[in-house]
Order: sequence, then C-alpha cells, then structure tokens
Amino acid sequence: MAENVIEVRGLTKHYPDVKAVDGIDFDVQASEIFSLLGPNGAGKTTTVEILEGLRDPTGGEARVLGVDVRHGYAKIRGRVGVLPQEFEPFDRLRPREAVGYWAKLVNRTRSDEEIASILETVGLTSRANTYAMHLSGGEKRRLGIAMALVGNAELVFLDEPTTGLDPSARRDLWGLIRELKREGKTVVLTTHYLDEAEQLADHVAIMNKGKIVARGTPDDLISRHGGGTTIVLAGAGTGGYEALAARGISAILDGGNVLVHVAMAAEVRRMLAKVASIDIPLTEIYTQRDTLEDVFLKVVGARMAEGELVA
Amino acid sequence: MKRILADARAFGVQYLRSRIGAFFAFAFPVILILLFGSIFSQGGSSIVPLYVQDLDGTNLSQNFTAILNATGVLEVRMIPRGIAIEDYISQNSVNTALRIPAGFQNQVFLHVTDPTVRVNVTLYGDPTQSTYGIAAAAVSGAATQFNLGVAGATAIVWTEPKTIDPGLSYIDFFLPGMIGFTILTTPLFGMTSICAEYRTRKYFKFLATTTLTKGEWLAAKIIFYSLLMLASLLLMYAVSILVFGAQATLTPMALLFVVVGTFEFTSLGMILGLFVKDSETAATVANAIGFPMMFLAGTFFPLESMPPFLQSIALALPLTYVNEGLRATMVFGNDALALTYLLITLAVGIVLFIIPARALSWKSK
Repeated sequence: MAENVIEVRGLTKHYPDVKAVDGIDFDVQASEIFSLLGPNGAGKTTTVEILEGLRDPTGGEARVLGVDVRHGYAKIRGRVGVLPQEFEPFDRLRPREAVGYWAKLVNRTRSDEEIASILETVGLTSRANTYAMHLSGGEKRRLGIAMALVGNAELVFLDEPTTGLDPSARRDLWGLIRELKREGKTVVLTTHYLDEAEQLADHVAIMNKGKIVARGTPDDLISRHGGGTTIVLAGAGTGGYEALAARGISAILDGGNVLVHVAMAAEVRRMLAKVASIDIPLTEIYTQRDTLEDVFLKVVGARMAEGELVA
Repeated sequence: MKRILADARAFGVQYLRSRIGAFFAFAFPVILILLFGSIFSQGGSSIVPLYVQDLDGTNLSQNFTAILNATGVLEVRMIPRGIAIEDYISQNSVNTALRIPAGFQNQVFLHVTDPTVRVNVTLYGDPTQSTYGIAAAAVSGAATQFNLGVAGATAIVWTEPKTIDPGLSYIDFFLPGMIGFTILTTPLFGMTSICAEYRTRKYFKFLATTTLTKGEWLAAKIIFYSLLMLASLLLMYAVSILVFGAQATLTPMALLFVVVGTFEFTSLGMILGLFVKDSETAATVANAIGFPMMFLAGTFFPLESMPPFLQSIALALPLTYVNEGLRATMVFGNDALALTYLLITLAVGIVLFIIPARALSWKSK
C-alpha cells in the first residue's frame, strides 16, 4: 500500500453566501495522478488552494506531506510545486531566466545545464531565450510547469493546466504529465475535461457544489456508475429497430443508428452474436464502452461542456 | 538574502526592459532639467516687454518712459494713442501694459504748488504671471526715481544685489528638487501599479507558492529602486554640470537621502497598492497622492512663496524633508540640518514599510 501524500477529512470552506467546499474526504497516494474533476464553481480550485497552503479552510482536516495545511506549511513549501489556474508568466523574462529565478525563490541553485534540462523536459528548449510574452498559450503553461518543477518538487499541483489550449497542445501536455508520474512525482490535477481525467488519472474525485459526488479509479467509476456497454448498429435505422423489437431485444433509435445497451460485461459477447445473426441492413457494427462522461451525467445529473453544466 | 537579490534582479531586468520604466527613471528627469534649466538659466531672457500708451505726449511723460526703459528689466513698446488700451491688450494678447494719462505733465506741475495733487499712471496685467510682478516693481522703482527728480532730491538708501554664493545658479537650487521629484514619482507610481498588476495577474498567489516572504519581496523592490535612483541621480547631476555648469555638491548625505527617500516612497507606493484593484485605479490613486505632494513640497517652487496654510500642509508631507534635506546638503553644505531631515525621513519610512509588510496578504480569503 503506497503512502498517502495528501489526506483530507471533512474539509470545509464556507463563505457567507456559499459553501465552496462542503465536507469532503479523499486521499492521494504517492506517485499517482489524482484528478479533481468538476464543473466551474464546483470547489476544485478552492480545495487545491487549501492544499497548496494559499487559503485557510473553515473546518475539517487536510494534511500534505504529513503537515497540517494550517500550520507549518513553510516546512514543506520547497517540496511542493504549483501551476496556478490561468497561469501567466512574467512577460519580460525569458524561460531560461524565469526558471533560474524561480529556482532561487525555492532555495535551489540550478546550473545552466540543469535549467536547460528542465526546459528540455517541458519541450521549451527552442524557446528558452524568447520573452515569455511571445510564447503561445501552450508554451506558457509548459513554462509554468517548468517553474513548478524547478525545486524538484515531489508533489505537483496542476490547476486546469490545459484549459483554453488547442487539442494538439493539450495532448502534448498530457504526455508531459505522464512523464512526471514516471519520474515518481505525485500529481494533483484539477480539470473540467472528462477525457483528460480518464486518460491521465489513477484516481478521480468528481466534485459538484462543494461535495465529492463520486470517487475511485476511472474503471471503478465506470463500472459502478456507468451503464455498461452499448452495441451500435450504424445505419440500421427504423427497419433495424423494428427487427430487433420483433425478437424482443430492447433498443434505442438514435438518428440512423440503433443502440443496444448491455448492462453486464459478461453478456456483451452473447448479445453481439444474437444481434449479428439478425438480417439487418447496416453499415457497421461496433461496441462502445461507457466513459466518465456517462458517469458524470449519472452522478451529477447534467452534462458538462467547457466547464459549464448543460441540460 | 539570496532570494531577495534574485527577486531584485528579476524585477530589475523586467523593469529596464520596459522602456516606459526606463524613460521615467532616466529620460524624463533629464528632460525636465534641460527644460527648466534652459528657461531659468543664462539662456532665458530676463527683459520683460512693457506696452506703454502715452496719452500726454509731453516732455515729462516721455522722460518717464525713458526712465522705464533705463531700468534694464523692461523693454518699452509703444501703443498708439488712437485705440483704447483695453482693446489693444485684448487684440494683441498683451501681458503687461501701462497707460500714462493725458494731462500728466500738467498734474506734475500742479503738484509743485499743491502737494495734495496726485498723478496716477495705470498698470494693466495678469498678477498670476511672474512678468507682471517684475513690471510692477520696475514701474514702481521708476516712479520713485521720477518723484525724487521732480522734488530735486536724491536717494539715500540703495540696494546692492548679491547672490548667496556667486558660484551658484538657478540649476543648483532646482537640482535637489528634481532629485526629490524623481525619488517620489518613480517608486511611488511604479509600486502602486505593480501591486495592481501582481494582483490581477495573480503573481502574488504564485509567489506565495515559493519560500520568498512578503518582507523579502518588499526589500527586493527597495534595493532595486535605490540602485535605479542612484543611477538616475548621477545622470541628473552629470547633465546639470555638463550643460549648465552646476556647482551643487554631491555629498554622501545626498546619496543617503536617495536611499532612505526611495525606501520611504517605495513603501508608500506599496501601501497605496494595498487598495488598488487594477491598473487604472492604480494610476488614479498614485496621481491623487503624488501630484499634490510634488507641488506642495517645494519641488518646483520655494516653500516660502506659498501661503502660510499651504506651508503648514507642506510640513506634513514626507517629500518636503527629502527636498529640503537635499538642498541643505547639496546647496548650503548644512549637513546638520540635512541629518535631522534624513532621520525624519527614515522614521516615516520605517512606519510606511511596516504597514504593507503586515497588511499585504498573498493568501486568498
């Protein structure tokens, strides 16, 4: 059993008009990627800012690297790296200068070679001498991650690191985050992208209105809250739907496709064979596993698009 | 100390790469020195034009005009008789004009037999203009000389003009004020807007994730601004010597004033920064505090030229002690007085430093 790097018990943060964090519990184990997932305003950033020592909780307990976040955070400050939400670098510093500067602020002395190595890790070698204001959005986030890593932090908080980036830049950053895990670092990732959490996280906690409404590994969550597997009969149309209904198979007509839902994983093979034996005109047949998106819909009761809940 | 120097260096690099910052620290004070130095030093004309309308046209009125011309500070320009003097002033944007009435000579002769008869000449002008004061004094002096001549008397008491130090010129008195002005504006305006920028761009929060403390961050700014102001001082001093032949002395006490004054106004800027949320508010707040202080603290005008209630206000302004202290040490060589002002500046600076060091919060609420 890996040790817990973060332990949260009954954590609350209340404001006069809102309970931003409302009694949450979770643990983060060493060397894992832990994702706090939820829409804007769910309480993710408030939670991580408490864990970063930037905000005092109203109640409950939170321990980071064995230290109570209310007291003694200074002792672990150098072991924690942070990429804040909406990070903006200092415009007139070059990445090489910014990383060297930040190293000194976390009591590290980094040689030029070490700084070059960190910039290579985040893929900024060719932009090391460019003013930060001329970097792209993705490059700025990479610089932020380089600054968060420069102290050789063992715990890294990444608060919505890919928000606003194009798909290519997002996938590049995913690779970088996986690399951090391979190096043995613990990563706490907040995001409102369901696919990001599913792709990267070892454990996920879904937050909504200050509470954790589900948590576990992505597979666990899908097993527990998802609807199983869907067999898609592409192009089967109304005829296909009626043919299945005539044989007592429950299906859904979704545009030109017919969807057959299978709750139990063990039943998928049998149902697939049964459906394939029926003579239905179709263009393709394939299975679709439920995703965190389906889990989210079930536990929150709404879909999420760009961080906002939609009906 | 390593963190403070690292922060001061990174901040300084960014500051100097911003051309606006470098302009206000170096170019702007030099421009002001060149401008004011040129206006008030030898390059400027001290002759005031006086427009005279002689409605009498007699020997005595022409004699009076000649006396005016001979004062050396007035250049008499005649206004034709056929036009109302008020219209002439309005049409020609004349600053100062004198009307010698018709019957001037007759009235003077009448006065010889009847001492109660008075002879009035009328001086028109805008009292807010410095040229008006010069013209009024010159006309009054000419009238006195004319009166003595008519009475057959001679002057007994004479004024012998002598400057405090023959080597000193206008620029020597102006330079300390300019140094004080730069020490006020650069850190005060800079820190206020930096706080707004750090808040809106969440740099404070990012800095809070490091081991740098608030006090260290403040100290780094003070170190950088002190070095910047010392460099600016040397530049201003060099320009004053090379261009205007300034004689003011750059004393160790003056250098101390730059450091302590910068400490004071950087801290004041930080206090203002506690209350501003964005760059626009920062500029407004810094202007509201900085500009009145700039003018009331004897930067451009001597304190003695102000009404008593404004002089009382000036005594409560921190810049007053920086300006007067710099003048005391650089112009008059009075280091004892300068030391008193330096200690006042230091004491106020410590108080102003403690406030933001305690009140500034990098944490979110």
